[in-house]
Amino acid sequence: MASSRILPEFELLIPQSIKEAVDLLGKLKNKASVMAGGTDVVISCTKGFGSPNVISLAEIPALDYVEYDSKSGLRIGAMATLQQVADNADVQKRYPALWKSAAINGTPQTRNMGTVVGNIMRASPSGDCICAILAIGGKVVLRGSKGKREVSIDDFYIKYRETACKSDELAVEIKIPAPAAGSCNAFARMTRTTLDLSKVNVAVRLDMSGKTVKEARVAIGAVAPTTIRLKKVEALLKGKQITDDVLQKIVETVPTEIKPIDDVRSTAEYRRDVAGIMVKRIILEALGK
Amino acid sequence: MAESVIGKRIPKVDSREKVTGQAMYAGDYRMPGMYYGKVVRCWEYASAKVKKLDFTEALKMPGVVKILGPDDVTKKPYNTTVMKLLVPEIFGEVFGEIADLNIFNKIVKHQGDAICGVIARTEEAAERAADKIKVTYEPLPVLMTCEESKAEGAKKNGYLFTPLKPGNKAFDLPASFFPNQRYGWNDKDGKTAMELFDKCDYVIEDTYYVPKQKQCQMENHSYVAHYDERGRLNIWTSTQMAKPVQVLIAELFELPLTRVRLVQTIVGGGFGVRLGMIGEPHCCAMAMAVPGHPVRMEFLREEDWVASETRYPGHIWFKCGFKKDGSPIALDSMYMARKGGYYTHGSGPPFCFAAFIHGMYKWQAMGCQTEGYFTNEVPTGAYRGYGNPQLAFSGEQMITRMCKELGLDELEWRKKWHKGIGDETWLKGVTFASDGLNDCLDVAAKESGWYEKKKKYAKQTGVKRRGLGVSVMQHTSGAFPMLLEHSVCTAKLNEDCTVELMQQISDLGTGGHTAITQMAAETLGFPMEDIHLRSGDSDMCGFDIGAHASRTVYCAGPATIEACESVKKQLLERAAQLLEANVKDLQMKDKIISVKGNPQKSISAIKIAKEGVYNYIDAATGKTIGIPGQIQGYSSFFAKHCSPPFGACISEVEVDTETGEIKVLKLVNAHDIGKAIHPPSVEGQLEGGAQQGLGFVLTEEYAYDKMGRVLNNDFTDYKMLGPSDMPDAKIILIESAPDPIGPMGAKSCGESALMGPIGSVANAIFDAIGIQFKEAPITPEKVLKAIKEQGLQK
Amino acid sequence: MKKRAITLTINGEEYNLNVPVHYTLLQVMRDQLNLTDVKYGCGRGECGACTVLLDVGKGGMQCKPTDKKTTYCTMSQSKRKPILACIALAATMDGKSITTVAGLAQNGDLHPVQKAFVDESAIQCGFCTPGMVLKAVSILEKNPKPSEEEIRNGLEGNICRCTGYVKIVKAVQVASKKTATGKR
Repeated sequence: MASSRILPEFELLIPQSIKEAVDLLGKLKNKASVMAGGTDVVISCTKGFGSPNVISLAEIPALDYVEYDSKSGLRIGAMATLQQVADNADVQKRYPALWKSAAINGTPQTRNMGTVVGNIMRASPSGDCICAILAIGGKVVLRGSKGKREVSIDDFYIKYRETACKSDELAVEIKIPAPAAGSCNAFARMTRTTLDLSKVNVAVRLDMSGKTVKEARVAIGAVAPTTIRLKKVEALLKGKQITDDVLQKIVETVPTEIKPIDDVRSTAEYRRDVAGIMVKRIILEALGK
Repeated sequence: MAESVIGKRIPKVDSREKVTGQAMYAGDYRMPGMYYGKVVRCWEYASAKVKKLDFTEALKMPGVVKILGPDDVTKKPYNTTVMKLLVPEIFGEVFGEIADLNIFNKIVKHQGDAICGVIARTEEAAERAADKIKVTYEPLPVLMTCEESKAEGAKKNGYLFTPLKPGNKAFDLPASFFPNQRYGWNDKDGKTAMELFDKCDYVIEDTYYVPKQKQCQMENHSYVAHYDERGRLNIWTSTQMAKPVQVLIAELFELPLTRVRLVQTIVGGGFGVRLGMIGEPHCCAMAMAVPGHPVRMEFLREEDWVASETRYPGHIWFKCGFKKDGSPIALDSMYMARKGGYYTHGSGPPFCFAAFIHGMYKWQAMGCQTEGYFTNEVPTGAYRGYGNPQLAFSGEQMITRMCKELGLDELEWRKKWHKGIGDETWLKGVTFASDGLNDCLDVAAKESGWYEKKKKYAKQTGVKRRGLGVSVMQHTSGAFPMLLEHSVCTAKLNEDCTVELMQQISDLGTGGHTAITQMAAETLGFPMEDIHLRSGDSDMCGFDIGAHASRTVYCAGPATIEACESVKKQLLERAAQLLEANVKDLQMKDKIISVKGNPQKSISAIKIAKEGVYNYIDAATGKTIGIPGQIQGYSSFFAKHCSPPFGACISEVEVDTETGEIKVLKLVNAHDIGKAIHPPSVEGQLEGGAQQGLGFVLTEEYAYDKMGRVLNNDFTDYKMLGPSDMPDAKIILIESAPDPIGPMGAKSCGESALMGPIGSVANAIFDAIGIQFKEAPITPEKVLKAIKEQGLQK
Repeated sequence: MKKRAITLTINGEEYNLNVPVHYTLLQVMRDQLNLTDVKYGCGRGECGACTVLLDVGKGGMQCKPTDKKTTYCTMSQSKRKPILACIALAATMDGKSITTVAGLAQNGDLHPVQKAFVDESAIQCGFCTPGMVLKAVSILEKNPKPSEEEIRNGLEGNICRCTGYVKIVKAVQVASKKTATGKR
């Protein structure tokens, strides 16, 4: 039986470089879990879902960066905490969706420990940063024995709790393009109390040309095995002005694109009932309405 | 007299040790030679038979000292509660009190039932060994509702939780005591409530559901037990009821009281969960198996959820009849409670539910029937309010609905029809001695803007709708005369004229130690810092019930006052002798005793105290210098009444009609305290109680899977309101109705805080959207579903 | 590795420890070092009873930003950060410095936040108090004049079942005023 005070025994590996970490992953394959801040790995251990090997990234130098450049966009290193992202003025100004998904994530303590990349890698269907980044768009940078590759966030989530990251690869960075002029984004979630996991979360990116939507990305979480994009809703938005009619159509369309379940946080019925409203509201919020 | 300390906003006596981290809770004790004890619980099943218990592999693990199974400890069945000490034996028999729990069990009656215990040199060793214990179970039927339990109990050879309770019915009101098995009264012509409905203009009938709520005290249950070389069983525990639990332990292990020492450590929250025994029997049994070695046992948080008692969930049926003008005629009701796996507080909360109906409104006749059925859930027991929160959710919603349908102002109705001075309280034959409810209602109405906002919100459009709700309550101050309320205080005057109080006061964080010290200081006219309350150790303190039923200030305070009055009287008597004056002509100020009107004729109380202890013979005269004998005051106090306090609460909510989300914007809770001895503590009770009441009505409930296993045994998924979820809470202490019986006019406040927020928020939601919710907690899921099905009714 | 030798500074005192790698910081503090002012409340990072402040390297702070191990020390901010001892692995804390509630008072004088908790009766059972006080300290170090909303948001992650947070919020406001005017 698991204990919330005594962790199961495991081997702890503390590589000092990315290369060393990648080598370890190559050796241990899926018998190891990667730990950044520990907010997921350690809690999983207390619930009896431990791994025989834990690879801690704590001592790999210079992975805790959050850097913005108007050309290359935003880069978030694997050890950058949620709080660093929440404290970053560029993130707050240019990526309000991501900013909010980090700033409301967990608690001040877990934000000081947990990382954005960790949130991405946990691949929880209700992950808040996942939802924001899926809407904004971005790439996960993976390092493996065969070198580096980048996977679009759109292709990253395969099925429930499974990503495109192979067992011998390490996610070292998230890259998010610089927002184009006229682009806006926003994130919102619904919880039982302030401190909670999302029962539904939504995020949008709208690339506007005047009052017309050029391009739209709409993401929603906790209503399917992975966070998903609402392609029909995006199609409804593309090339349109945001009118009440469009919004009403969106409210009606959202439930047809999701497959929520009942759990201890909410019901499938409720999730279906509010998902459309949440999408409508987040579109208006993104547009500053 | 020194300046009065009563009603002053002084720092609490125990706050410095708590704010610096020096306060020692039971789990913080570390002793030489200490072992660790772990209870192995059944996590897989809620109902099963232990077929085989195999310790072979576990005993080979490093650090293991002993493993105890059901046959290695006393098999004497017990009941976790102290009820049998609080009522005469015959009373317990009539009510059907039973002992049906064993330390380690061969039949699992709920998830978390204790199977065996591992004693090891470290916690980790105990944990690893526990993993190697092989338990083979045979699953039994899982009964999660009263209906299932009743049906199974009625079957021939159906599963029975205990042979002592046929049909799996844990409790009902005994017919020999209660006509029609109902608690209540008949009208002046002897007609029951049931017989009066025909005469009513308006009858309302409905069923409500109340949730299984957890106390969630922040300190997990922790113990250290030590069976020492003198053959004494010592136990350090955070129980709420130190003295009675000492007695229960002594009985369970068949030891005389002189060989059981119970030390109550600082209690990290109680709220009723520690009202009796939890892990004490297990920890003591393990300690007795390893004499000479203290055994520490600390619950895990997930263990707390499955192995300590909860609030009573269940269904509540009401039928109420009124005249057109709103006059209350008849109330009939039934509370069908889910008991959980063991009897424990089988009779208490269901009876008290009926009792709190009894104390509230002036029906011509009322009756309430209560029943409890065993279920394969975590046992239910005491939780702050003890039946009253269930009434707040159901009864107060009924009243508001009736008022709405008859077009009456619900606040005015409550002012008019609540019971008051001279009427019977929750207990037959005991009448109210004070009543501040109308003042509470008036002040709450003013503070909340009741009349203006009610008008303003009458016609709303838009997505977000606001509403206001009111709720009133009466509770109790101690449980006399239903239960024993006895407190003993010894006040020892030190030779420097400071005072040690030796009294078993349970302070669960409520401020009880502060209030008791204030009352002592006030009685003696000494400064606060000259009084020290020594509490916790059964070797030192006389009898006291402990903390339950909001009793500390009201029932234990008078013992303190009497003991201190005795000290003062003895000081004055000695002064009278030494000054050759009359006691009644003396006064004491700043520890100087003088003759009134003749300040020169005086003597220092410090001198009297010192000479009482260091009493020498004057070599010249051969006589004693001063008067010999250390002064001690003593009181063995039995409560005289239960002075119920009243309270009125108004809440304002906003409902998002598109999402069903509810936001509590403001909460005004006015409480009829009589006299607040330590106002910050009283406010603190009401502020903190609001968080628990709001949890009851909005978010908190156990979730089970089909196997009867708890799905939310952690704070991740059992949701309580956090700091940013709490509304603007305004607490108002009403002191316009000091109680003629309560010490210094005081009535209780400890449990009173939950009811107002529960009833008023439910009523405010009803006011906002016109739909009444009959199941608590009222979640956005339920709200949206109701709006979808019924449409906005307003 | 099964055990790791680490150097950990707690309340200014340096400890050279050999910790089993699966031990949490909470376990090391409570069971190896008997520092029981750090509390176990839930073990899963939800309640905040085990909150400690991670000192961040800057003048006066006790962190030793000497080598590559101290990743936190390279971070942008210079204030102490609250973290959770129950989900931090002690073995990954080599070279770190932390403050607990027992380390707040200086020469017997309570920290202004501690004093405000006492004065405002913001303490009931006291079990959440060590974590709550440390959290309040971190809120004010980051933002000396927080709004009520900022205080409430900042206190999220520290559960109190006794007070309804009313007097705790008040205490933080009082401490904020006192520290802003330099009173102690």
